[in-house]
Amino acid sequence: MRNVIAAIVLSSIPLALASAAEPLRLPIVVPITGPLALEGASQRNGALLAIEEGAGGLELATEEIDTAASAEAALTALARALSRPNVLAVAATIFGPQMLAMMPVAEQARVPLITVSGTARLTELGHHFVFRFFPADPVVKLAQARYVVEDAKRSRVALLYQTTAYGQSGRDALGEAFRKLGASIVHEEGLALGVKDMAPALAKAKSAGADVLVLQLHSGPTALAVKQAAAMKLGLPIVAGSAMHQPSTAALLEPAELAGVCAESGSAPATGGTPELERFAAAYRKRFGSEPDGFAAAQYDGMRMAIAALAKGARTPDAVREYLAGQSHQGAAMSYRSDGKGNMAHDAVIVCYDGQSRTPRLAKRYANPPGAR
Amino acid sequence: MDAGSVLQLGFNALSLGCAYALVALGFVLVINAVGAVNFAHGDLVMAGGFLAVAAAQIWPAPGILILPALLVIMAAMGVVLGAVAYLPLAKRPPSAVFVSTIAVGIMLQNGANALFGAAPRAGPALVVPGHWTGAGAAFDRQSLAVIVVSLILAGAFRFVLTRTQLGRSLRAVAADAEMARALGIDARLHILGAFAAAAALAGAAGLLLSQRYFVTPTEGTGLMLKAYIAVVIGGWGRWGGAVLGALFVAAFEVLVAAWLAQPLAEALLCAAVLAVLFVRPQGVFGETHGRRA
Amino acid sequence: MTARGILDAPPALPLLLGAVALGAYAAFGADEYALRVLSTAGTFALLVMGYQFVFGHLGALSLAQGAFFGLGAYATAILSSRYGLDFSVSFPVSIAVPVIAAAIVAAPVLRLETHYFALATLVLAQGALVAVLNWETLTGGANGLPGVGAVRIGDLAVARGLPMAAFVWCAVGLGALLAWRLVHGASGMAFACLRDRPLAAAALGLDGAHARHGAFLMSAAYGGAAGALHAHLSGVVSPESIEFPVMVSCLTMAVIGGRARVAGAIIGALLLAHLPEWFRGFERTYLIAYGAAALAAVILAPAGLAELFERAWDRLRTHHPALPTPSRPATAPRRAATSAALALDKASKRFGGVVAVDGVTLDLKAGEILALIGANGSGKSTLINLATGFAAPDGGRIAVDGEDVTGDPAHAVARRGVARTFQATDLVEDSSALDNVALACAARVGPERLTNWRPHGRGGMAAARAEARWWLARFGGAQTEGQKARELPAGARRLVECARAAARNPLALVLDEPGAGLSAAEKTALAERLRELARDGTGILIADHDTEFLFAIADRVACLDRGRLVALGSPQDVRTDPAVIAAYLGNAP
Repeated sequence: MRNVIAAIVLSSIPLALASAAEPLRLPIVVPITGPLALEGASQRNGALLAIEEGAGGLELATEEIDTAASAEAALTALARALSRPNVLAVAATIFGPQMLAMMPVAEQARVPLITVSGTARLTELGHHFVFRFFPADPVVKLAQARYVVEDAKRSRVALLYQTTAYGQSGRDALGEAFRKLGASIVHEEGLALGVKDMAPALAKAKSAGADVLVLQLHSGPTALAVKQAAAMKLGLPIVAGSAMHQPSTAALLEPAELAGVCAESGSAPATGGTPELERFAAAYRKRFGSEPDGFAAAQYDGMRMAIAALAKGARTPDAVREYLAGQSHQGAAMSYRSDGKGNMAHDAVIVCYDGQSRTPRLAKRYANPPGAR
Repeated sequence: MDAGSVLQLGFNALSLGCAYALVALGFVLVINAVGAVNFAHGDLVMAGGFLAVAAAQIWPAPGILILPALLVIMAAMGVVLGAVAYLPLAKRPPSAVFVSTIAVGIMLQNGANALFGAAPRAGPALVVPGHWTGAGAAFDRQSLAVIVVSLILAGAFRFVLTRTQLGRSLRAVAADAEMARALGIDARLHILGAFAAAAALAGAAGLLLSQRYFVTPTEGTGLMLKAYIAVVIGGWGRWGGAVLGALFVAAFEVLVAAWLAQPLAEALLCAAVLAVLFVRPQGVFGETHGRRA
Repeated sequence: MTARGILDAPPALPLLLGAVALGAYAAFGADEYALRVLSTAGTFALLVMGYQFVFGHLGALSLAQGAFFGLGAYATAILSSRYGLDFSVSFPVSIAVPVIAAAIVAAPVLRLETHYFALATLVLAQGALVAVLNWETLTGGANGLPGVGAVRIGDLAVARGLPMAAFVWCAVGLGALLAWRLVHGASGMAFACLRDRPLAAAALGLDGAHARHGAFLMSAAYGGAAGALHAHLSGVVSPESIEFPVMVSCLTMAVIGGRARVAGAIIGALLLAHLPEWFRGFERTYLIAYGAAALAAVILAPAGLAELFERAWDRLRTHHPALPTPSRPATAPRRAATSAALALDKASKRFGGVVAVDGVTLDLKAGEILALIGANGSGKSTLINLATGFAAPDGGRIAVDGEDVTGDPAHAVARRGVARTFQATDLVEDSSALDNVALACAARVGPERLTNWRPHGRGGMAAARAEARWWLARFGGAQTEGQKARELPAGARRLVECARAAARNPLALVLDEPGAGLSAAEKTALAERLRELARDGTGILIADHDTEFLFAIADRVACLDRGRLVALGSPQDVRTDPAVIAAYLGNAP
């Protein structure tokens, strides 16, 4: 037993120390384990695809470093990433609290973080090294609320949110958007991640007289809520958060259960829509054998923009930062340009399921919605 | 809320509680056999769920047909768990077993993440999908099947424990391993048997839960905590108490959550458990055997 | 110093060498990343040290240590990020908050035993998590509180990297020193006795509830301190700081490092914080390797790595420090102020429908040997339990030297001057025979001092051991004094227990079958010792099956039959009493 451990320890050392040459490093510091691993895996795949596509002969290198579940673990992962030479940008975690912890460190090290985290606050703290390629909560949540009010013509909202960073941030943005649009929230309830039965919350939403169900839940709970709503014949349209657009969420449900369900996202690569997005989706399927989601597309676009900076001669993280902050980039999902705070993405889409297939159709595109700037 | 909704919620709570009861029964079995908490128990439930998902991919049959094979595979996994995480530490304080099972739990959780990915997965349907309606509520066939399968497994479990020679020697080992050894019972074999049965029950619960509620690699800890609460309020080491405790936990999760709000129900469950402990420090239903003074 | 000299130095030396190595690594061999891991390990070391008090030393499986950590972290985050308060304010508050929380729940929670205690602490921790998640105006909810800056004391800010690592490890060093002063020597032995042999501990006058209460509060204090440092290290405090995985890490580190050794906390935290980092090369499966390594560690060293190192060190050392020379107790034997050292007045005890002791009135006079006889099940052991506070009577009174002790807990009765032995010998098995007796010597003077969680100076144990050697020699146990209790034969165990009870210098010495397992020669010697003790004024109540042994040494004999006192008088009178012959001596010669 002891020899086995020694062998494991020794064999991992060369892996850790293999950095003789000086390639341009773009480490991937995202949650690969723990409760955020689903979104983290999309980030990782998107970033990996972008890096593997290369930069016209430049030698790129990357390393996946797990941030697990806590801010502390994320800082350790970032410190590991930054301990290598020649780190030009970091693909950084979707998990808000981990981003909040990493930002001051990145600022001090002057290395740009490329993230898809939606938490509004990230870009409000005056940091100059954060670049967000997924539309922030004020953008996507406003799109979600506008779709509810303007397109679905609903005004009595039941809002179910997860008691996690994703859920509570989204709830805040949704509350503000609905207030702005003049809709009333007739029932609002927080649900812990481990809750199995959604029927209590759904029954209360119904008896509160809601005419639309708005979800801000993670993947599994979103599918549960949709499934149970269908079984209970709740009869309310459902406009869900970005978790619903993830193909792995739809895979949990029968197409019939998905009838009348819509979701927001930055983009829906599985649905396609533009040649760029479809090219990305095809490459993703070929490389990973699974369907891409909007987080993967956004992370891919972010890394491609950083690589474009490298291709144009940026050789320091500061130069990459300057490029990200000042240039625009036509990506697979949309075109990106910083609003001055590091918010790069300003478009949101609403996709809806028709009850026939698990791939949604594009229902609405909100390009540069007012309020994004 | 109308009567139909209340009936519906009661039915949901019963179905969920039955699945939790299988989790709690496996948990209490190991407690009785080795006197230590198996911190990997929730992860065994999760592993059972993912095994059911994998089995259904290889052989797309109703869950009820997959169940026997799953029980066998999970029992084998239980034997390995017992042999690796318990037997080398049999003569050590229980805290060593806490940590060995924590370590196995970490391996199971991350093994599932590496093998199956982090996305939630849906297990196979137990029976042909559909539901019956009546009295303003929909009685989902899967949920009914969950209740029936849980009752059958729990009943079989009880029968084996109380009516067979195997069960009697198992209980003798649980009561006093030294004494059982003196009577010629192979304690090690029986302890491995207890781990096997516990893992099989956990696997069955994993299958039952995965269909309705999906399965994710990280859910083990939450399930273990629920089983822990169920077992203690039911009376440490009591089979029947564990089942009632599980129903109690599910009732809070569904009925109290419906009556108030989910976070409040969670807080109230904590408060209720504390109240039970302070008023009746031996659990609601008392303990199997009193401790020595 | 020669190589041999280094090896023979006191065990503080390897610790010092370890600290120097760690410092050298941090200062010269570690980059920012390594320093971060090191700092994280430091916060966990503090957390685990606190956890050892309640879990390691007193054996109570608390699952609230992670919550104490979280409370400390949140206190720091709120005070420093929201109100910009100085570390000199936020740090003490971060310690106080979990301590106050612990003090509030301590009274009901500490009453509970084993699993019920574990669950109560677990549920409290879960409740704290629910509160943190949902009390968003205070805690920021699931998003947590960002912007906890560096540690700032006045104008001095501790920068990230080496300064912060040094700061954390200075705190670890201070915490370790305090922890060691709290648990070394007689206190540590008292805790081990309370943990492993709670009945024997009560008989020594040790108050388990008092010890657990202090341990729980101290563990909360260390947890809060660790949480505060964690907050500064992370910059963000979110619910992950209070969730169950923190508790699981803490428990794992405590067991793998060593449950009851300060060095174990440090070794466990250092190892478990670094393990996953070493396996990072495995990428997606690195935590599987981490789990396997943790499993291997607990199987290879189930008692903890600290003990493994300690044993290896012991083997390397060429000679061991000499034991102190035996010395007579400094205090004179105590004498009862009243005529009865111990008095039962119409004492009764019922178990369900069975009356075990039925209205027994019995005085044990100072300086007399009172033998208690009766058939199996006649109530002798229950009577002894009533007399020593190990059972509360259903009726009647119990008094020690004229003071009413009815219903008092065993440790309180013991402190009044009652010592006892047990029918099944009850020794701390992992301690030497000598240390079992030495604990009684240390506990004689102010047993409350051993469990009050105040720092102790050095040297207390030397005097106790010197006296214990004298007592052991007196009871014929000098040859086996260095052996662990578990290795002793039955007769030697009896004598150790008698020596331990006698060393308490009691007013009343209550012996439950002390002759069982002794040879004839040993019994003769024991009888001689008991007569000496009685001559010094100790009242001795003795129950045994060997009536000849009893009749030979007793001043008076009491006979029980089905819970009632059927005879009491001189050995000659009782031997010929028809009731006694009918009830007990019928078949005796």
